[in-house]
Amino acid sequence: MRSFLPAVAEQLFRDIQQTHQETSQIPDDLLIALKFVFGPCALQALDLVDQHSVTCLSSPSGRKAFQVIGGSGRLYTCFVSCHYCPCPAFAYTVLRRNEGLLCKHILAVYLCRATGGTQQESVSDQQMSALLGGTAAP
Amino acid sequence: MADILTLVFKTFTSQTGGRKELTVAPPSPPTCSTLVVGDTGISRSVLLLAAVTAASELGMRVVFFTQTQIQSLPLCLQKRVPSLSPESLKKIKFSYPRTVGELLQQVAGLHESANTSPTPPSLIVVDGLEGYLCGPGAGGLGGFHPGEQSCAAHLSALLCDTAAFLTQLLRRCSPSSAPCRVIASFRSAVDTGEASATDSALDVLDRYFRVRCTLDRDGSYEAAAAGLQEVWHIYLSGTGIAEASSTKDCEDRPAVAPEWKLLISPDGLMEFELV
Repeated sequence: MRSFLPAVAEQLFRDIQQTHQETSQIPDDLLIALKFVFGPCALQALDLVDQHSVTCLSSPSGRKAFQVIGGSGRLYTCFVSCHYCPCPAFAYTVLRRNEGLLCKHILAVYLCRATGGTQQESVSDQQMSALLGGTAAP
Repeated sequence: MADILTLVFKTFTSQTGGRKELTVAPPSPPTCSTLVVGDTGISRSVLLLAAVTAASELGMRVVFFTQTQIQSLPLCLQKRVPSLSPESLKKIKFSYPRTVGELLQQVAGLHESANTSPTPPSLIVVDGLEGYLCGPGAGGLGGFHPGEQSCAAHLSALLCDTAAFLTQLLRRCSPSSAPCRVIASFRSAVDTGEASATDSALDVLDRYFRVRCTLDRDGSYEAAAAGLQEVWHIYLSGTGIAEASSTKDCEDRPAVAPEWKLLISPDGLMEFELV
């Protein structure tokens, strides 16, 4: 996913990861930077991280994907190597208006990876295919 | 990177130009996706040529998705590909999903054969994205709606993510192996007359496909006078091209040439020329 982000965002995630490893916290200055780079969805993404909403799914084939539980309880499947989220905000703000880099769900995935807060879950290969192809029951 | 396409162009350069270079372009970045934009018929031929070249010259396994059945290999291909054998054709798996839903399902399922098949595919080809994304089955009523943009993004992201996963598998089998590439074609707005609809689709596709290969027909008098049936200009552009050019070491020219010419003679023979 990294290559899709501007350098400033990549550096920010690296800083968060490093500080979190040392202190188990994200200091205020990095939170402010996060808000500055990602706007209002930064706070919503931090909420999702607090609620342990991000799960890394793996199947026997080795394929991985992220699943994020949205505020309304809906499940969103996001890819490991590039940005896509089936949520309306991604379709509207990112794809249509080109106003944001990503939605709160993808940002939550980045933050969980940086802070080690990702839940782990195994699924079958068929379940993984259904989730990736968007045919799994929500 | 567009290395497969570049190999196709190099392999089928006109005889006067010689067939000297038969090597794949040097180091490729981790994501390798190319979008061929242009007339449906020509794009399809270029994609078939790419699939056949990858299978026969490089021994790659190829998955080819298209809505239209391929009854037989075009004659011009049979004549031009020197090492074409039934064995190498077996390396290409043709698949005919009818709707974007079926296509998503089939691409999403590619990882399932990872444990059963000895080598994963190294090239995923999708012919005619517009048929899946803007066609009557895509759910829209003429225009290209946010839902369809999201669908285009879903399909592109799934293709890129699948290629990234298959690259990992290929590297596990052999650490030096080249990454898995994606080549897809999309008919340009000019031909369809629905500029706004296809443009917003292209905007989304450009986010995910790092290289764009534009096919542009040359309608000039010279082309007609040369006794050729058709002349097409081929332009390679996009962030992937810029990266390939900047990673070159001490070579005089960029790793990927940005412009080629495609000459199609009356008997359907395709030849490429470096511009």
